Amino acid sequence: MNRRRVLAGMAAGAGLTVLGSGRAAFAAPTELVWATWDSNGHLEYVAPFEKQTGAKVKLSYLNSEDAQFAALKTGTASDWDIVNPSLNGSWRYIKGGVLKQLDLAKMPNIAGMYDVFKSTDKVKDEAGNTFAIPYLWGLNPLVWRTDVLSEEPTYSTLFDPKYKGQLAMRDYALESIAIAALHIGIPREKAFTLSADELAECKKALIAQKPLLRTYWQTIGDLTNLFATGEVTCAFSWRVPYDALKDKMKVAMAKPKAGIMGWCDCFGIPAGLADDKLELAYAFGNYLLGADYASAIAEIGNYATTSGIVRDKLTKEKQEAIFIDDLSVMQSFMWPVAPPNYSEWLKVWAEVKAA
Amino acid sequence: MRMPAIPLGRRHLALPVAAVLVAGCVVPLAVLVVFSFFVVEDFELLPAFSGRAWYELATTASYWWLIGKAVLSGVAAAVFTALAGYPVALALAGVPASWKGVGVVVLLTPLYTGEIVRIYAWRIVLGSEGLVNAVLEGLGLAAEPVKWLLFTPFTTALVLTYNNLPFMVLAIWVSVEMVDRRLIEAARDLGARPFQAFVKVTLPLTTPGLAAGVFAVFALAAGEMLTPSLLGGTSGQTAMAMIDTLFGTAFDWPMASALALGLLAALFAGAAGLAFALMRLDGARAVLARTTR
Repeated sequence: MNRRRVLAGMAAGAGLTVLGSGRAAFAAPTELVWATWDSNGHLEYVAPFEKQTGAKVKLSYLNSEDAQFAALKTGTASDWDIVNPSLNGSWRYIKGGVLKQLDLAKMPNIAGMYDVFKSTDKVKDEAGNTFAIPYLWGLNPLVWRTDVLSEEPTYSTLFDPKYKGQLAMRDYALESIAIAALHIGIPREKAFTLSADELAECKKALIAQKPLLRTYWQTIGDLTNLFATGEVTCAFSWRVPYDALKDKMKVAMAKPKAGIMGWCDCFGIPAGLADDKLELAYAFGNYLLGADYASAIAEIGNYATTSGIVRDKLTKEKQEAIFIDDLSVMQSFMWPVAPPNYSEWLKVWAEVKAA
Repeated sequence: MRMPAIPLGRRHLALPVAAVLVAGCVVPLAVLVVFSFFVVEDFELLPAFSGRAWYELATTASYWWLIGKAVLSGVAAAVFTALAGYPVALALAGVPASWKGVGVVVLLTPLYTGEIVRIYAWRIVLGSEGLVNAVLEGLGLAAEPVKWLLFTPFTTALVLTYNNLPFMVLAIWVSVEMVDRRLIEAARDLGARPFQAFVKVTLPLTTPGLAAGVFAVFALAAGEMLTPSLLGGTSGQTAMAMIDTLFGTAFDWPMASALALGLLAALFAGAAGLAFALMRLDGARAVLARTTR
């Protein structure tokens, strides 16, 4: 074999390699990166999807929603294929142009969603186009010690001098000011759209509340610890302390009639997602609203999806644990929404803490 | 062929250092200054000139309070750690060489545990059902748990002092080790009592170490966010936490930038005040030396 033949052979081999890789690039994608909270995306939750599609779901856990938004806005999250805006924060993703408009026909499991989630406008733009789908939700109740408090607390309990030194609020302007608004009688529909006068009234109530509080809690682990060590007996909370302590202490959750603060996670597709990944992304969105994900996260994570697809198959205890035993609870939902004048709220919150 | 030699003077050698300083310090600050005059519309930071953030900073009492609190917190921590750390550094310098290593390990071990672990450890010690309250109640000194031990400004000051003590001790210790012991012996031979020898010899010669410790602790404590928020109770708001919220949650980058720059200016003023106090201390030491002669 002469030198010319060797070179020709090498060139042919290189050409075939390039062609081969080119064909691989046009094949169906086999990997999907899901940016979500660690509690929403355990490996066992996505295993059925991987089995059904043969695609691998890579989990990218979020530290904060603000960081997620910033990453999308600045284009530093180009490897994310599905992202996780909250229901109350979706509007800024939509306004910021970082999400793709969704084709709802590609996700038939939407039909099984509870009406309150299916009909929400918070995931739509002004023209009524949908950019995100709610898929997981829960309530932020009051957690309280039944051996210390004699009756189920309401928001006003958090402002009651009788419980001085035993109460805690979250160190978070949005929820704390809204709770003060509910306490002073502002209806829940207006709790996140307060006028300047109403904000001033809330500030007064929160300053009066301050000496009653043991502390403002920072993280849910922090609050769980405060309950466990006897520092706090009633607090605006997430459900975590209840789950962690119910077998060790007499604790219960209260769902105030004035308005229950809910949280709800949505999925969305980044505006820059490549077309060849779209079908897989829609399939995954549909999976999040389906029976396999709903069963896994209800049984292991104590969370409910926005679909009622497995509700009747769960035990009564499990339904109660994930708040779907009595669907009338959805009548008093309120979804925290950062108001456009949020800096004013933060100023009020800083003034409360400075008082 | 040999390359021609490039004549490098001292000035040329300083160029890399200058480049690092400009890239690491000047540029970020310049970016903050520029951002503070921008406006935010629909989550876009737009380069339209606006003095809104600076006006807000100048006219909002709560921002002033947060900045002042950061400076005070830094000064208090620097003073408390200096008072607590000096004797420890002297003791460490006085032990046999073979024990010095042990002393340093003991001093540094808490730093390796991480801030969160230390914070929760303090909660166990100072909490209503904690160690101190158990002892107080056991000895009959308190009928019910003492609540002010935890979630008060006292707790923040105590833990900031504890957290920063190793930095102060190490800075002073290095200075004390460099003092020529013969000078102290000479002072003693000339009739100085131990305290007089300390005031006239040791303290002046270790002032650089004390200053290094004071400035380090001041900067660390003034910028602390976690300890005040998790142990300070309802008094735990900090300027740093506010900046974090303004940048992240509120997406108000101009206001966050203005507050950060305001805080920086105040911290420089605080550091200048501490430098002045250290110089006054030098003067006070001279007066003290004369009166104890």
